[in-house]
Amino acid sequence: MTVEIPKSIDQLPNPEPRYIGKRVTRREDAALLTGRVEFIDDVVLPRMLHAAILRSPFAHARIRSIDTREAEAMPGVEAVVTGADALRWQRVSGSSPDGWGGRCPAVDKVTFVGEPVAAVAATSRYLAEDALERIEVDYEPLEPVVDPFAAMEEGSPLVMEANGTNVMMHRVFTWGEVDEAFESAAHVFTERFRWNRVGANPMETFGTVCEWDPVTLELTVRGAIQSASFMGLGRAATFGLPTNLVNVKANAHGGSFGGKGGGRGIDIAAMLSRKAGGRPVKWIEDRVEYLTSGGSQAWDRHYEAELAVDADGRMTGFRVKLVDDLGANGEGYGSISAAKPLTAFTGPYTIPAAGYDLALVATNKLPSGPYRGMGPPPHFMVLEQLVDIAARALGVDPAEFRRRNFIPPEAFPYTIPSGNEYDSGSYEEVLDAALALAGYDDLLRWRDAARADGRVVGVGVATAVEPGVFDWNAYATVGLPQTGVPEGATVSFDIRGSATVRVGFAMEGQGQYTLVSQVVADYFSLDIDSVRVIQLDTLAAPPSFGPGGSRLGVAITGAVLGACERLAEKMRTVVAGLMQTTPETIQLSEGQFGIPGVPEAQMSLAQVAGTMLARSDLLPPGMDPLPEATYVWTAPDRTPADEMGRAKSYLTAAQAVHVVAVEIDPDTGQVEIVKYALADDCGTRLNPVVVEGQTDGGIAQGIGAALYEQYVYDDEGQPLTASFMDYLIPTIAEVPRSEKAAVVTPSPFTALGAKGCGEGAIHTTPAAVMCAVNDALAPLGVRARETPATPERLWRLISGARGNAAESEPNRREQQ
Amino acid sequence: MIGERRIRVSVNGTVYEVGVEPRTTLVDFIRGDLGLTGTHVGCEHGVCGACTVLVDGLAVRSCLMLAVQADGSEITTVEGLEGPEGELHPIQEAFREEHGLQCGFCTPGFLMATYEMLTDDPKPDEDEIMEVLGGQLCRCTGYQGIRRAVDSAIDKLGGTPPADVFGAGDPGEPDDPDADAVGAAPTGEGSHG
Repeated sequence: MTVEIPKSIDQLPNPEPRYIGKRVTRREDAALLTGRVEFIDDVVLPRMLHAAILRSPFAHARIRSIDTREAEAMPGVEAVVTGADALRWQRVSGSSPDGWGGRCPAVDKVTFVGEPVAAVAATSRYLAEDALERIEVDYEPLEPVVDPFAAMEEGSPLVMEANGTNVMMHRVFTWGEVDEAFESAAHVFTERFRWNRVGANPMETFGTVCEWDPVTLELTVRGAIQSASFMGLGRAATFGLPTNLVNVKANAHGGSFGGKGGGRGIDIAAMLSRKAGGRPVKWIEDRVEYLTSGGSQAWDRHYEAELAVDADGRMTGFRVKLVDDLGANGEGYGSISAAKPLTAFTGPYTIPAAGYDLALVATNKLPSGPYRGMGPPPHFMVLEQLVDIAARALGVDPAEFRRRNFIPPEAFPYTIPSGNEYDSGSYEEVLDAALALAGYDDLLRWRDAARADGRVVGVGVATAVEPGVFDWNAYATVGLPQTGVPEGATVSFDIRGSATVRVGFAMEGQGQYTLVSQVVADYFSLDIDSVRVIQLDTLAAPPSFGPGGSRLGVAITGAVLGACERLAEKMRTVVAGLMQTTPETIQLSEGQFGIPGVPEAQMSLAQVAGTMLARSDLLPPGMDPLPEATYVWTAPDRTPADEMGRAKSYLTAAQAVHVVAVEIDPDTGQVEIVKYALADDCGTRLNPVVVEGQTDGGIAQGIGAALYEQYVYDDEGQPLTASFMDYLIPTIAEVPRSEKAAVVTPSPFTALGAKGCGEGAIHTTPAAVMCAVNDALAPLGVRARETPATPERLWRLISGARGNAAESEPNRREQQ
Repeated sequence: MIGERRIRVSVNGTVYEVGVEPRTTLVDFIRGDLGLTGTHVGCEHGVCGACTVLVDGLAVRSCLMLAVQADGSEITTVEGLEGPEGELHPIQEAFREEHGLQCGFCTPGFLMATYEMLTDDPKPDEDEIMEVLGGQLCRCTGYQGIRRAVDSAIDKLGGTPPADVFGAGDPGEPDDPDADAVGAAPTGEGSHG
């Protein structure tokens, strides 16, 4: 049976939808606000033990020996694991580029500060931490390598000696006639940029409770897990278990943004459990662990980029050379952040040719992992700075320069040089909306007047494309499997006609349970509060990947609508049998099944469901009596990557324009954002409240990345940002109120026309803030080329430009 | 073992007299010993504010305080905000209506900080609000919904002290001035109103 999923709200069997597209208050909130939601650290199981992890104090050292005898003898200590257990039970992790990765706890050698060396399970966390102090580790310190350029040199210390190099991958991608574009360009603009490590820092760290039965080998994993099924597959691969022996029960969690990490915490807790006879073992990562050795760090990048522009101000080529410092051994999917820019390499522009020289390099730092946006945010920061450099050099207004280069609305679906296809867009309309909202002309007048008074002020306009609906085809270039990503939902009615939806993902903050309720309530014309959404374990749930890569809103809407369609079709068949007519005659409208125009030939949902369950003898022969249907949605028409990595991968392309005005205090280098306005287009807005909330959160994270946040290491590979007093997450004082306008260009490819929207702002905000900062610096003749543009960095630039400081711009190698 | 000390605290109106290890933090005591898991641990070094509770009416970081230091205190946690029939407190209602939370993990801390602020001053000015909210970290919302929620809470309360929302003036349940008995019934939050 073909399922036709409604592509717009007016195709729903409900003339007056009450919820989809409306500002719906979230159904998740009452339980969260009263402290009732069970987060992982709230879980208490009978006979549960608590784990603590001993971590390496060295960035690079050989482990000569570990003595755990004293710890094991302590009262309350039930299990201790070391690399010897990892060697026995684990395979090398599959989250690294081929030939890289390791086991956990470390075997023989540590490669970053904070790498687990041993772990203890005891009857309390306090006792477990006491026991760590009794473990003796004899290290032979080795010379670390912290700088990726040093790591690429002959004779550098090797993070993994067996590989003979620290270069995990070096590939050069060429899309279109890029060399020709640069040779024939009227203008070429070149610049270097440094994006320092930032990361997710959800307010809840990672945590897990694992039970690994030593007899049956069944592994049950609870935890603050973003993608339960994916985590389960990963653990099965790591432990060499059949996938159906691993059951994951993800808890609601306190944010993730891709940076929850967790795989290695689960591995440790699971091994401790197996050693403790299968007793549940809880491990809650503390914040220092998260900051120094968790899933926290992403995007440690050194860029050289160049832009070719013709005589008419059209961009004709874009080349990027990226040295991406992935840290030690490449674990944790850091490599995919370097691959994702292929999905939107040339942004919203008609640049016909591009090149990408990509080196993934190992150093003795924490392996970098995913973070919201998964790689493009730094890429767009680079592209947008170059666009401004070009516009400034050519004397064209930056907004106008962008307008000239936009992909026009009639060109969609549009295939970009790096292979992905954008579904739809109205880029000029978005630009106009943003400029109008910002009062762009007035802003420029304000800027010019303030400059005349000697103030350092600037206005930035930046734009980016947000690839939506995560797809593994985008990551073939770094060796990951080319597959689609399923999301399923089961919709059912019980004997009284109450609706329940079963899904496979946990609450994370994006209001997806509300979204599921909105869709079912509008499809069957129910009250939203009557729809129950429940989450099942991975072995019971419909196939699910969960949130990630701006996918879940689109994917779950497709899944739920598909299930509704299937269920409605089933119920129509039942009603047709009862009314002795054909299913095509029966219509679902406003929650009633029946023959249109015949008031006496109508049945309520409860009547149909009740009949199916209680009187299956009345159903057509062979009819499945369950008033229930499951649908598994995958993105249609995706393609595997060719030899240049070109694939149709992410299904949707949202777009935004942000306008930012800043003032920099020349005496302190402090940036104040005095205006923030934006317009964006993420297709149909299924719940505008949630979309705006995602944008607000992304702006705050983007401001953090642009101005404040940085993981700092010293020359020995010691992390210097091990607390929230060092790693500076924006507070309310650093995040301005923003004005927002919405443009709606529905996606032709998705349920109801929605596009992925969870990562939009972080694609655009760092670029926009840096554009504004650089506009402010332009009259001084200097450029901020390094994020975060901290007060110190900006003060040095400004002071250097004014000739009263010894040091000027930081170079690309600088770590701090 | 390190040994225990007996402490006596009133939490959300219930008096507990129990032994704790001197090194147990207040938040571990509240969450682990009392099972009140609505208070969350975000950083354990006093920056993020997720663990904020009221101790004798003052907002404190319960990760930075030891349980033994709270001996003799009255403590209010997020579980103490809702009404006797499970009604949301106006501050909670405001957060819900204004999308002042996403993942909800930091939310109890914001609620308690707001509660303290509005107890001290039912009409705080912008500087006061920014100072109080500036002491709490949220990674999801960009603070915009939270900021709106505080304004909304001020309006909803209309000058009523947060502690007086439920039960105040109810002739059937006079405030018990001497909630001394161990396990005494909740007395409402009038003591620091």
